[in-house]
Amino acid sequence: MALHKDEIALDVQDLHKHFGGIKAVDGCSLQFPKGKISGLIGPNGSGKTTTFNLLTGVTAPDSGKILYNGENLAGLKPYKIFRKGITRTFQITRIYREMTTFENMLSVAGLSIPEREVRQRAEELMDFVNLTGLRDEYGGNLSYGQQKLLEFSRALMTDPDLILLDEPAAGVNRTLLVELLKHIHELQEQGKTIIIVEHDMNVIMNHCEKIFVMDYGVKIAEGLPEEIQANKQVIEAYFGHT
Amino acid sequence: MTRKEHLINLGYLAAFLAVLTVLPSQFSVYITSFIMFTMMYVVLALSWNIISGYTGYVSFGHVLFYGVGSYASAILVADHGWHWVPTLAVSALVGVVIAVAIGFPVLRLKGPYFAIAMLGAAEGTRVIVTVWDGLTHGGEGISLPNVENSTETYIAMLLLMVATIAVSYWVGHSRFGIRLNAIREDELAAEVMGINTTVYKLAAFALSAVFPAIAGAIQANKTLYIDPETEFFILITITMKLMAMLGGKGTVIGPIVGAIVLYSVQEIVWIRFPQAHLIAFGIFLILVARFMPRGLVGFWIDRGWARKGMVH
Amino acid sequence: MEKSEVRSIYLLAGFLVFAYALPFAVGVWTDSIFYDRQWLADLATVALSGLMQGGVYAMFAVGLTLIFGVMRVINVAHGELVVLGAYLTWVMFNMPEWLGIDVYVDPLLSMVVSLPLAFLLGYGIQKLLLNAVVGGPELTPLLITFGIGISLVNIVEWIFTTDYHTIPYEPDAIHLTASIAVGKNKVISFGMAFLISMSVYIFLKVARLGKAIRATAQNADVAMVCGINIYSIYMITFGLGAALAAAGGTLVSIQFGFNPETGLQYTVVAFAIIILGGRGNFIGALIGALMLGVIENLIAFMVPNGSAMVEIAAYGLMICTLLIRPRGLMGAKEG
Repeated sequence: MALHKDEIALDVQDLHKHFGGIKAVDGCSLQFPKGKISGLIGPNGSGKTTTFNLLTGVTAPDSGKILYNGENLAGLKPYKIFRKGITRTFQITRIYREMTTFENMLSVAGLSIPEREVRQRAEELMDFVNLTGLRDEYGGNLSYGQQKLLEFSRALMTDPDLILLDEPAAGVNRTLLVELLKHIHELQEQGKTIIIVEHDMNVIMNHCEKIFVMDYGVKIAEGLPEEIQANKQVIEAYFGHT
Repeated sequence: MTRKEHLINLGYLAAFLAVLTVLPSQFSVYITSFIMFTMMYVVLALSWNIISGYTGYVSFGHVLFYGVGSYASAILVADHGWHWVPTLAVSALVGVVIAVAIGFPVLRLKGPYFAIAMLGAAEGTRVIVTVWDGLTHGGEGISLPNVENSTETYIAMLLLMVATIAVSYWVGHSRFGIRLNAIREDELAAEVMGINTTVYKLAAFALSAVFPAIAGAIQANKTLYIDPETEFFILITITMKLMAMLGGKGTVIGPIVGAIVLYSVQEIVWIRFPQAHLIAFGIFLILVARFMPRGLVGFWIDRGWARKGMVH
Repeated sequence: MEKSEVRSIYLLAGFLVFAYALPFAVGVWTDSIFYDRQWLADLATVALSGLMQGGVYAMFAVGLTLIFGVMRVINVAHGELVVLGAYLTWVMFNMPEWLGIDVYVDPLLSMVVSLPLAFLLGYGIQKLLLNAVVGGPELTPLLITFGIGISLVNIVEWIFTTDYHTIPYEPDAIHLTASIAVGKNKVISFGMAFLISMSVYIFLKVARLGKAIRATAQNADVAMVCGINIYSIYMITFGLGAALAAAGGTLVSIQFGFNPETGLQYTVVAFAIIILGGRGNFIGALIGALMLGVIENLIAFMVPNGSAMVEIAAYGLMICTLLIRPRGLMGAKEG
């Protein structure tokens, strides 16, 4: 079921990344559909986070292409990729601990709108995730869940088209998770593409429209949630081999 | 921060400056010179703060820019007959050029490596200045023509301090400053969130170099004699660092407070016990680093006497 | 011996061949000195004394790299500890004379007293000032040791003034041939340096405590879980590093002039060496020290106005290493 070119948000072709002798990503090709929530799953050490790092320029790939709007992003610096409209969060939140919530929001670069509108946008987004009350509190003083929300809303400052979320559910309580998922769906309804790396299978199976499974740095399966659940190779990857 | 708060701060600054402008006609040469050097240390501490306080790249060799600034000016005045005022522009330029040349490789280093590399850069420059006696007169130093210019240098230092405070205030209340803070907090996250960290770091470094270079130049024309040992004295770096840390690095008011407090203590009390003063300096540095990492201003903020954050 | 250690010996041998061949090649190229026997003899002398000086540097660098390897702390006061060691030796050397007794305490013998004293000082510094900040923001220990350094220099200066001192010790030269000669004090100091660094190396490899130190350097959390009291390891390590620095000070005192302010230079030398050798790597520090010693002496010999340039050699080497190969010659890949 190949997608038409216009339906692909991000086209990853034959991506390779080796660390010394370890092949973290070993010829991975992924085609993330536009305007949908995709899930990227796999056992620990299967190369999901490395893939995210490659997609956002945190590490440069050894070879392979990352096509976005017809442009190859492979090897670009992170800030350049960000300015093309791709944003991310981290597995362990990386907010600025000794800056206030509001400053965390304003720190984002690459917006070409006047200062007043930037501030306004920051206020709106803090409102969106219910952080307005903590506007002038240091990031380090927020609870872990609040930090996740802050990182999430910070990532939305530039109104990106593609949002990569690295384990959004980890360390977040149920109530907050429900709220976070609601925001994610709202963003999708606005037409944005979302890619989630996640260990929580409930989140993946109930909220993603398309799932990619990685193991040992390669894609071993892709498809709808039901298809993945029934896929033998996937079950084997998770439980089968030692 | 609201417009009204900015205006109130501007008012404080204006009143403060009005007092300082009148002072030299009222007081003895000694007091005038004391105030001038206090202002110089305000400039140095604020400048160090831009790269080290906001950006988190702690420089152990900032005297480098002060030294090259004073040398650039002294050479032009003593050997080429320039009037001292235009040399300040040359010193500023030399400071920026050297900052960019050194910063480009050295700012790629993180944490302690940057600190020590800057220490090395400053000491290395001192050696080069000592060796290159065709240009710098080597270890014997440069004597400048003897002219009475204490009022002029006082005014020049005052204007320089105003400029430094203004720039620091802008850094401390703008998105530029916030982004420098973001680099300090988490450089990778900053880069992923769209900040071109190389350019921002270089800009902060150049900004933190230009004012010490001018300050060094004014100082050279005030004291009328310079040599490598005094112009590249490591204690000057330590002093600006300690002043900024004592007051509170990463803030605007902190380094100003730190410079005034420390320089006054130094001049009034410690100067009478030169060796003990330096020992106390070391101990003081240990205590501030260990027990008051965010300085006096951090202390105020923790007690709710000042607001958190740079922008509101 | 591990594979990397064998490789390091090849590396050093290769470097030495290169370092001696280079001036030789320059000599041939400039067609001036090739047949001058005296010049060749001078080159050999210079190279040899460079190696000897490297032995002294190794003493500084090994202590610094040990402290860094275990605690990730750069001890900026390291050079001041070297100077302190030199002064302790000097005081003990002259003490009998001050008391009116006509004997001299052998500087090497004085290490029996000065090294334990330095150990205690280092132990105390770690216990009182650094234990609380290890593992926190990495600049805090840097600032604290910087403060210690400033206080130490000025205490020494207060007591002994800034005058240069030396200890006249075995000033005769050993003649290898009629024209190649090395000072006997240099040979003795090289021998001592070799002996001490090998003892420390064997201690780290074989002794129980040495293994605990290595375990802590590898992974403090795991070491703690395995029942090692990492804070006492930290204190012992800093003490050991300080004692090694003081030993370096003794070796300095018998061949160079020293005053309180030379400490900063030693800190930078030691730091440059551990950058070159690979941070926290023991063998790397030894190799780096020998290399720097040879490079410095060759620069002084080859470059006009070279003796002043020597002071920058360490900085230059450090910055080049950081830019070209940040992990150093023998450093681990990560970091």
